[in-house]
Amino acid sequence: MIRIDRRLFEHFDMILFLLIFLVCAMAFFNLYSASFPPKGPGMPPYMRQGYFFLISFTAFVFIISFDYQELHFWNYPFYGLITILLVLAFIFGHSAGGAQRWINLGFFKLQPSEPAKLMLVITLASYYSRKEIVEGYTLKDLVVPIILTAIPFGLILLQPDLGTAMMLAVIFVSMTLFVKLRVSTFLTLGGVAMGLIGVAWVKVLKPYQKQRIQTFLNPEGDPMGNGYQILQSKIAVGSGGRFGKGYMEGTQGHLHFLPERHTDFAFSVWGEEWGFFGSAIFISLYFLLLIWGLVVALHARDRFGVLLAFGVVSLIFWQAAINLLMVMGLLPVVGIPLPLFSYGGSSLLTTMLGLGILMNVRMRRFHSSMARD
Amino acid sequence: MGLKLAFKEIEDIEEKDGGALDLLKRRLLGVAAVVLFFFAVIILRLWMLQITNGSEYETRAYSNRVRIRDIAAPRGHLLDRQGREIVTNRPSFNVVLIQEDSNDVGDVLKRLAPVLKMDISELWEKIRDASGTPRYLPVRLKEDIDWQTLAYLESHNHEFSGIRTEVQPVRVYHYDDLAANVIGYLGAISKKEMAEADSEIYSGQEIIGKRGIERLREADLRGEKGQNFTEVDAKGFEQTQLKAVEPLPGREIRLTLDNDLQQIAESYMAAGDKSGAVVVMEVNTGRLLVAASAPSIHIEEFIGGISKNAWQALLDNSRHPLLNKVVQATYPPGSTYKMVTALAGLSKGVIDENTTFFCPGQISFGNRTYRCWKKGGHGTVNLQRAIGESCDVFFYQVGMRVGVDTLAEYAQKLGLGKKTGAEMEFEKEGLTPTRKWKQKYRKAKWQDGETLSVAIGQGFNIVTPLQMCVMTSAIANGGKAYRPKIVEQVTDPEGKVIENFTPELLSEVPGVEKFLKIIRSGMEDVVQGKRGTARNVAIEGLRIGGKTGTAQVVRLAQYKGLKDENIPYEYRDHAWFTCYAPAENPEIAVTVMVEHGLHGGSGAGPIARAVLAHYFTNKMDPGKVDKAVPVVPEQPEEGGE
Repeated sequence: MIRIDRRLFEHFDMILFLLIFLVCAMAFFNLYSASFPPKGPGMPPYMRQGYFFLISFTAFVFIISFDYQELHFWNYPFYGLITILLVLAFIFGHSAGGAQRWINLGFFKLQPSEPAKLMLVITLASYYSRKEIVEGYTLKDLVVPIILTAIPFGLILLQPDLGTAMMLAVIFVSMTLFVKLRVSTFLTLGGVAMGLIGVAWVKVLKPYQKQRIQTFLNPEGDPMGNGYQILQSKIAVGSGGRFGKGYMEGTQGHLHFLPERHTDFAFSVWGEEWGFFGSAIFISLYFLLLIWGLVVALHARDRFGVLLAFGVVSLIFWQAAINLLMVMGLLPVVGIPLPLFSYGGSSLLTTMLGLGILMNVRMRRFHSSMARD
Repeated sequence: MGLKLAFKEIEDIEEKDGGALDLLKRRLLGVAAVVLFFFAVIILRLWMLQITNGSEYETRAYSNRVRIRDIAAPRGHLLDRQGREIVTNRPSFNVVLIQEDSNDVGDVLKRLAPVLKMDISELWEKIRDASGTPRYLPVRLKEDIDWQTLAYLESHNHEFSGIRTEVQPVRVYHYDDLAANVIGYLGAISKKEMAEADSEIYSGQEIIGKRGIERLREADLRGEKGQNFTEVDAKGFEQTQLKAVEPLPGREIRLTLDNDLQQIAESYMAAGDKSGAVVVMEVNTGRLLVAASAPSIHIEEFIGGISKNAWQALLDNSRHPLLNKVVQATYPPGSTYKMVTALAGLSKGVIDENTTFFCPGQISFGNRTYRCWKKGGHGTVNLQRAIGESCDVFFYQVGMRVGVDTLAEYAQKLGLGKKTGAEMEFEKEGLTPTRKWKQKYRKAKWQDGETLSVAIGQGFNIVTPLQMCVMTSAIANGGKAYRPKIVEQVTDPEGKVIENFTPELLSEVPGVEKFLKIIRSGMEDVVQGKRGTARNVAIEGLRIGGKTGTAQVVRLAQYKGLKDENIPYEYRDHAWFTCYAPAENPEIAVTVMVEHGLHGGSGAGPIARAVLAHYFTNKMDPGKVDKAVPVVPEQPEEGGE
């Protein structure tokens, strides 16, 4: 099934790979500082993440080994598997912070909502590439994608993990807008979405979630309570100043003022220790990676390739934008990690698989003859 | 390079009329714009946080991780003139809660209450009282805990998050209530005091001087607090000590008071259950050796804050223990004022040492009769006898001739009727009435008959015991009224002298020594004369010049003619005795005021005698001084005026 072509290696995108490598290297160094001093027994987070990097890289290599067209087929079992895992997570899941998110696999606690994001990208890319409507999609055309999104969205919302569920919605909206909607459809859907958000505020949101949003609007009002995280994160980043406090010298992080400093607030540690210049370099590299992902989409040989590349970019982009704006105090605290940078195996694996797909699309941009046999 | 190519390609797509795929790719330009927009927002935000507001956040990060704890400075000691310690410090340990550092205040308090042997509701009340202060500041839960409690808390400090023990020096009073009304007491700084205080010096947690020298000399005594800088983690556990600035102890103040004399004065007042004041002053300098007010406050009640009930009891007490009667109470001077009348008469040439008046026991003036205290009269008296036997008629005659304004002029020159400026709070001015004064404040014309009352120290005249002592000193030293002072020396912790006693002249009556000599011979008769009014004060081997006085309290007709012991306490006359010694070369002046003490000689004299005896036992040839005067007082004997 897999035909290794020499041209594949010729088309291996060193720029894309280098960007991924640099961001991952920064992430690893940052995690070492963020998990210091070691807390309790067992493997420190940076070590675990080191192993996850290796696993994820293997997955990356695996996914570039076959033509991305195969995903049209593999998409179905993948979708089914993730849906089952989401159901299992809800029933047997490992509870954390009031939500059932993890399935304990012994060596690894899988958070199925993470790969669900990538699953949705592939599913929608597959659907929209096969059902091409140049003059824009109508409401009727959207029934299937809406249902495909709604299933994982609902399951994740039930956990409840509002942040991740919201990410699925954002991915759906991004991809659907990208493939073009009819104006009337756009207006209808927009209206319905607004209504749903209104209902959600009244009925669905848990008090702690409302609290977070309210706290975000006025974080200084309750600096020791819910505004604490945002405030401490802003203090950490701000106190980095021009050149930072130096690697391993961050006081906000090492003295535990920063909450979740190796997961959602990992960038705060970076900002505190490396200052504006270090942060600007990191963010520039990160966005260069995203722009390069768009270049991959631009050069893709077919509609599926464009949509896959675009979907992966939007998946990483939205999470990164939301996470960075959150740690810098421009958005409320939502549990969204910074892909590649935050500690967490499920997120890393998902992101690397996505980047693998990106590389795959890149490597096979000229292989129109190599479509499925 | 890649990017440039990419955008060129998009332009190419637009030029070609491409297929659906190209239309899709064309939208990537908009997508790139969105991505770049967010990139710009994030970089801009980063700039705002790190460059624009970087230093502000740096400060906040610093105050996050660095806890600055004040170390209280030991307060300056108070010594007597001989360097004996009156008030010093000892360390006490307080239990405090730093709310910011406690993860569960309720739980911690619940477990802490039995350790402190307190009720949990008391602890909550302390925390409620501190509401409004920043959460990183300590709230005092219990003061001055014992060693066992301290040891327990120190060894279990990880079980009580947010609970700390702080060392605080507290006052030790080596002589109990000695000079308590002058030295004063300490208390927690009030919100009002805090508003007026320098926030650089006071954080709002301090114990400061509330009354007396403790308050007036707060700036000298407080020292400078030290600071301890420690790095703490988010839970408030201290990680490393960064630096410490040791506190600078307060300055030591050596008072002019003499512990022995002060003790004698106070114990004599206390033994007779007397209210009033005793003042002893060096006549040639103004140093106060004794400044006693009775009854005294009990300083122990004020340590750690006086209870509401105890405070109310002090306010309600008819003997007014809160008053420092040395300066805060005024009394008519009575016959002690006769020296003023005498000096005025001599200075104005109205009388000389040979002038005599006949005392039939009373004189008539206007349509009133003015009586002498001696019903049968003194017969023909000169000035010396008139003072020695305290003849009222003589001084009526003199007063009548010099007039009230002249009397007031000389009274003022001798130190009456104006604040002495001694370092004591709420000093009263007293009053030396004049015609102008009466017109202004009483809206009435001066009656000449009132001059007669003033001439013997009654009427509108009022003085403080301290003023009386200043006056007595001035008579003894040739007319110089010195400012009474209570601070001998102030030294800083390195031993450097900051301030030294220097005599300060308040006012002077020049060229009156020859007149004062005559007056003093009369005063010597008061004690040593055959018919003196204070013969009971006499000490063998020591010549004393003095004067008794009776300050009339409202005399109701119904008590007239009653025997002394049958008059209710509050209607008995106040007793004055003021004197100096040795007569040949005066060193000290002693003034005793006993409220409702009836007679100067008997009521106030014995106290003055005890003080003089003790002072001169040490000063003079021991054999010459009557050693029979006991340090522990006995019941006062009867004497007459």
